[in-house]
Amino acid sequence: MPLKTSRSGKKRRYLAHLASLALALASNACLAETDTDLSPKRFQLGGFGTLGAARTSTNEARFSRDQTQPTGIGKNLDGKLDSLIGIQANFRATNSLEFVTQAISRYGPHGDFRPEISWAFGKYSFGPDNLVLRAGRMGLELYMQADSRHVGYSYLTVRPPVDFFGGLAFHYIDGIDLVGTLPLADGVLKIKGFGGQADELAPIEQGSAILSLRGNPIYGIYADYQQEHWQWRATYAQMSFKHDLPAPVATLQNLLNQTTVPSAIALAKSLSLTDTTSRFYSLGAVYDRGPLLVQAMLSQIDHENQIYQNTQAGYLITGYRIGQFTPFAAYSWSKSKTKQLSSGLPDDNGGPLSQLNASLLGAQTRVHTDQHTYTLGSRWDFRQNMALKAQVDFIRGKPESVFLYSSTTPNFNGKVNVFSLTLDFVF
Amino acid sequence: MMQRATVLLLLALLTLTVRPAAADLVVVAGPKSGVERLTQKEVVYLFMGRWRQLPSGIPALPIDLAIDSPERAEFYRRLVNKEPAEIKAYWSRLVFSGGSLPPYTTEGREGLIRLVSNNPGAIGYLERNQVDSRLRIVFEFPATP
Repeated sequence: MPLKTSRSGKKRRYLAHLASLALALASNACLAETDTDLSPKRFQLGGFGTLGAARTSTNEARFSRDQTQPTGIGKNLDGKLDSLIGIQANFRATNSLEFVTQAISRYGPHGDFRPEISWAFGKYSFGPDNLVLRAGRMGLELYMQADSRHVGYSYLTVRPPVDFFGGLAFHYIDGIDLVGTLPLADGVLKIKGFGGQADELAPIEQGSAILSLRGNPIYGIYADYQQEHWQWRATYAQMSFKHDLPAPVATLQNLLNQTTVPSAIALAKSLSLTDTTSRFYSLGAVYDRGPLLVQAMLSQIDHENQIYQNTQAGYLITGYRIGQFTPFAAYSWSKSKTKQLSSGLPDDNGGPLSQLNASLLGAQTRVHTDQHTYTLGSRWDFRQNMALKAQVDFIRGKPESVFLYSSTTPNFNGKVNVFSLTLDFVF
Repeated sequence: MMQRATVLLLLALLTLTVRPAAADLVVVAGPKSGVERLTQKEVVYLFMGRWRQLPSGIPALPIDLAIDSPERAEFYRRLVNKEPAEIKAYWSRLVFSGGSLPPYTTEGREGLIRLVSNNPGAIGYLERNQVDSRLRIVFEFPATP
């Protein structure tokens, strides 16, 4: 434990150092820039934000944006889901070397809006951006556009499809990535490899416990091809766990071990996350031609551990700009497969063994998803750098589809309608 | 008096509703760019940050006119049929995910001419009648029927 603390302390100091370096250098920036000098501005400060309000049609399930939010929303209008603000500083040390830091304040794992350093990296370009190396804390492109999930102004919908992105509890890695770009046929091929470790937390049971993802190694690679109006992307990534789930799964594991029955002990071990790997496969395509935008993604997640369920998800979004308005429609789904688990313990008619089997079933039930969502909405670019969005989601799922909600009641019937309004801006 | 005012008002309204003819924009590079001609696809790739090298191998430095200039809006409408807000959204995604930076923005056409003529990799867009001997036209939009 002390070892871990000192390591993350060191990491934090390193990030702070990067940030202060960028800021210190920045004070020298904006000096003489003649009009014949074409190097981009040395120092740029910018940001993005969203003011949102949303409510749902039921209190039987708490709807949240992703797994980092401890409690979701119900029938009362709530601003916490989508509201956020981010600030970013870019500092160009030379034509090839750039430093970027970004901090975001949003409703996160601790149940508050405490700001977090989301990016802090140095970026070195070999040649004119044909080969780019980055090191530090960077956005994790687990799926196409996964690293711009918080920049509402950059996309059509109020939030990225929850069926697709909602299961994720991580946004960045501390590590390195390398991107190579080359022209191919009459398009542009981009290959990116990345590796590092997570440093985030996932709240469990409405924030009463926390699953740490800190130190979890993450690796991945993607190939991306852009040709005129089309963009294609195939991504593979994997994450290995370094920590186990907290209660109630930890409690269940303890009780299973205490039975000293070999099958129960084996089950307890298979529920453990540590040293297991989860694999993420995804395909994405975008067709973007003038006023028309069509975007589709598919993903498959496979978990070695026995507690999380292998999941398939996908979405299709299409929008068409008419003047300042871009109405859109979307369809998304998420479906997981329950694993066959048994403690091998006989039921003892409501005795301790039956209760143990019941809590095993309960733990499995908590991670199941089987739902699809129809979305309708419109984006209104009513003034420069600002957009208003209104959206309705009709989520239709099995009553057992509960994983993507922060909590559900026994009366939940799988149906939720979500009404959302946001004001997105960049500055 | 009343009649005169009405006629004036009508005239004013008419001149407002008659849109100025679409600017005849061309893409220009400097004489030392090593580039004679670009295709529309190449211009798209360069200005949308997908590719940052001129066909001659020189690092490309695309230049935008001021954010509120009519030429800039017209340029992207003709190039990719996108409104300024969509172009801004596009770059917001790239910039705030730590990717590439948008084209350099210069105020005024005179500044653009100076930049393009002094930097081998620089490319920009201008109205055809503002192009002088310091610049080379490397792309013209196909004539709209």
